[in-house]
Amino acid sequence: MQRRQITLPDGRYLIFYTFAETAADEPRAADALERAAEPAPQPQTQAEEERHV
Amino acid sequence: MSELRWHPLLGEWVATATHRQERTFLPPADFCPLCPTKPGGFPTEIPAATYDIVVFENRFPSLRPDPPAPAVAGTELYPVRPGQGECEVIVYTPNHQATLATEPVEQIDKLVQVWTDRFAELGARAYIDYVFIFENKGEAIGVTLHHPHGQIYGYPFVPPRVQRELEQAHAHHAQTGRCLLCDIIGAEQLDGQRIVAANDSFVAYIPFFARYPYEVHISSTRHLQALTDMSRDEQRALAAIIKQIISAYDRLFDISFPYMMVLHQRPTDGRAYAYYHFHIEFYPPLRTQTKLKYLAGSETGAGMFINDTLAEEKAAELRGHVQPVVWQAETANNGAGQGHEGGERQ
Repeated sequence: MQRRQITLPDGRYLIFYTFAETAADEPRAADALERAAEPAPQPQTQAEEERHV
Repeated sequence: MSELRWHPLLGEWVATATHRQERTFLPPADFCPLCPTKPGGFPTEIPAATYDIVVFENRFPSLRPDPPAPAVAGTELYPVRPGQGECEVIVYTPNHQATLATEPVEQIDKLVQVWTDRFAELGARAYIDYVFIFENKGEAIGVTLHHPHGQIYGYPFVPPRVQRELEQAHAHHAQTGRCLLCDIIGAEQLDGQRIVAANDSFVAYIPFFARYPYEVHISSTRHLQALTDMSRDEQRALAAIIKQIISAYDRLFDISFPYMMVLHQRPTDGRAYAYYHFHIEFYPPLRTQTKLKYLAGSETGAGMFINDTLAEEKAAELRGHVQPVVWQAETANNGAGQGHEGGERQ
């Protein structure tokens, strides 16, 4: 299990949990985040932490 | 306004959180705040085009890490304190139409691992004495969002329902030298009539003392206090038996069965709770396909539940809908759907 924590524009934290068995089949949350950030009117979120648990 | 007000008649805290009146209420599927944010689509709570499992701080929390000072002054009779704690949302899947019951057991296994991580992280925070993981499912329970998700509250105290359970467990241990829940599991296994499902590490039953017609408890057969005490095999076994129970619920009336699911674990206040025993409780509000069990005068005003059914009969009914769990990896390896964890009880 891997977790990646970001800070939302209003200061709240959000954690993406990803798992090895799906990592090869699905886009990494970080990649998806970059793709989704452009059309969304929210300010860019900022990565804070990425670690294996 | 957000604060804790003391209830002197019951000796417990009540959270006021008036901003929660503004929270999103049953939005159309196209505007679900828990769905992924699709390119060009409206921004949801989750800024990603897809995800596996996501946890975030609730936008409308009743408790927060840095709460404002109470808006009213407390008195000796009416103490108040800041509503400090955590309120997290845990989104089970990006699939809006799914429920936990319709997700594969592998996804529930991932959820168990995330629960474990959240229990460890929130429980380590000095201002959190109890980590409460739960799910409200279905409009009958009062959900405001249909997207499959649960919640986690980090309380700055041990909540009263759990405190009472701890006191009962402690008293039983002091009197007998044994764990109360171990004794309950032993009694249920000996009798057998109320067992719904079982595997190597967990047993699911409608207890002798059930307050709701389809109230199922899932208990670890090994004496342990929290998710963090479990081995990886036990985590998988827990996922399997949860899958069996909530799938059986859906088959019972051929509907997406509403329930409250709560995890009871040891407090995280630094004290010793070796006498306590991890378990999950389900409180489904239905007593028939179309009739709700209301918490009316006796239940709400006196705290005495009246169950119109017999646990033995309801357990047999539910047991008839339990099916073996199939792990996809095993299906691929074996070429046939032979589940290995928690087949229907023989």
